Amino acid sequence: MISLQTNHLFHSFSENLPVLNDINLDVKAGSIYGFLGPNGAGKTTTLRLVLGLLRKQKGEILLFGKPFEKNRVDILRNIGSLIESPSIYGHLTAVENLALLQKIYRCPKERIEEVLKLAGISGTGNKKASQFSLGMKQRLSIAIALLHSPSLLILDEPTNGLDPNGMIEIRELLLKLNRELGITIIISSHLLGEIEKLVTHVGVINKGSMMFQGTMSELKSKQKESLYISFDTSDNKKAMQVISSANQKVDDNKIVIPSLSKKEIAKIIQELVNNDIEIYEVSPGRNDLEAIFMNLINN
Amino acid sequence: MKSFIYSFESEWLKKKRSLGSWLVIVGAFFTPVIIIIARLIRHTTLEGIYEKDNFWRSLWHSSWESMAIFLLPMGVIMATSLITQLEYKNNTWKQLHTLPLSYTTIFFSKLLVIVVMVLQFFILFNIGIYLSAVIPYMLVSGVHYPAANIPFAEILKEDLLFFIDCLPIIALQYLISLQFKNFLLPIGIGFGLWMGSISALSWKFGYLIPYTYSMLNFLKDGNKAATPGINIHYLAIGYFIIFTIVSYWLYVRKNEKG
Repeated sequence: MISLQTNHLFHSFSENLPVLNDINLDVKAGSIYGFLGPNGAGKTTTLRLVLGLLRKQKGEILLFGKPFEKNRVDILRNIGSLIESPSIYGHLTAVENLALLQKIYRCPKERIEEVLKLAGISGTGNKKASQFSLGMKQRLSIAIALLHSPSLLILDEPTNGLDPNGMIEIRELLLKLNRELGITIIISSHLLGEIEKLVTHVGVINKGSMMFQGTMSELKSKQKESLYISFDTSDNKKAMQVISSANQKVDDNKIVIPSLSKKEIAKIIQELVNNDIEIYEVSPGRNDLEAIFMNLINN
Repeated sequence: MKSFIYSFESEWLKKKRSLGSWLVIVGAFFTPVIIIIARLIRHTTLEGIYEKDNFWRSLWHSSWESMAIFLLPMGVIMATSLITQLEYKNNTWKQLHTLPLSYTTIFFSKLLVIVVMVLQFFILFNIGIYLSAVIPYMLVSGVHYPAANIPFAEILKEDLLFFIDCLPIIALQYLISLQFKNFLLPIGIGFGLWMGSISALSWKFGYLIPYTYSMLNFLKDGNKAATPGINIHYLAIGYFIIFTIVSYWLYVRKNEKG
């Protein structure tokens, strides 16, 4: 079952400047979907459209298989969200912030203490939310998103303002929510490293267009495809003639050849030496997920 | 209907400890406290005042003097803008608009909270007027409890009319505050209209300005304001309905909701 599907979503804030261009998201129920892209790529705009915070211009948004616009209230009953910066009432305490939402969701009052504990922010007593640190505000926002036990969580950069320990705690909490309660999670970030251990599916967006969408293992297979070895030699021109591989190219004054086995590398080195070409360095290229992500964005 | 009640409860809780809710309490007791202080300073004259037949009418009139012209319109402008701007100030429109509530419910429950706050203000103000009579009597020896009966029916009727006269201010301030993120804008426009209203009191068409009605109601028996040719209270209700419809339409049609 699909939790969220967008079909040919377009959006522009001014006439000739589209910020989203044919966005087709496909978020399966029970998955943790990492929505990745650099700042300004269109992540927040997409999520705001999905939640109805922006008026849709073109395309289709389906949540739990139903069109959002016609089923807005029913759909929102099952969604918890955190969009960009924390959204809390500074003159109220953490409990009061949750209490005013509890009145609307009609969930048990005990749930307030439960989610405060889950988010690691219980025991703030009479302290007003305006006096909280950014990290505490972020945790309170996460508690708010969890209050009504939603089946879909939409979190836009939820670890902003958290220290490394806090980031790990939130990641573990999200994993637990997904594994134990089956909550579908859409989490946006501009750093793949931050969420690569968490997500099952990935969507990469850049300049308003989707660059990649698939499972984490599909993204990792791209990693294998992008394995390469670079050779730093005294005479690259001559070396290229000696190697005579169809896929070789010069990048940053080094010869770059993709997907070589150990034996092939040894053979190339031997041939270069036999042709009196000096070899200063043979090194594997950077091919971690972050590099693939950067590559997708740069392309 | 249930979701409207839940939304109203939530909105009511939201105003707890906010500047708007403090303003209602401070504004309601401001004039009565001044009257109490003035009477305690001039305590030697109190005995005669408390024996007069028109004691309550006279007290009510002097309490409403500054209220109708100055404090009530200003207070309503401030309170409406402050309550509405809570969402902008706390960056919470996006949270409010992702709750399972229709836009109609959100719009009208927030408006109802402001209307109920103004009602709360009227109740507290009347309690304040009563206390401004009772406290000097309790503190100054020789002063008897007022002999005159409290004209309840008259007070209730006038309170109701003043309340109706505030409604256009509530609706217009609500409309402006929903549209603009900058808090100073609704306050500035409100104060501008209030000052314009004072300047236009003696103008024969001054009653067309929707912020004039509490002033015109108070000054109806004197010669400080032009007498409107029509019932201003009906006009106030008309303005309230028109402003509310326009405000609702603009709110629902907004492209960005947080």
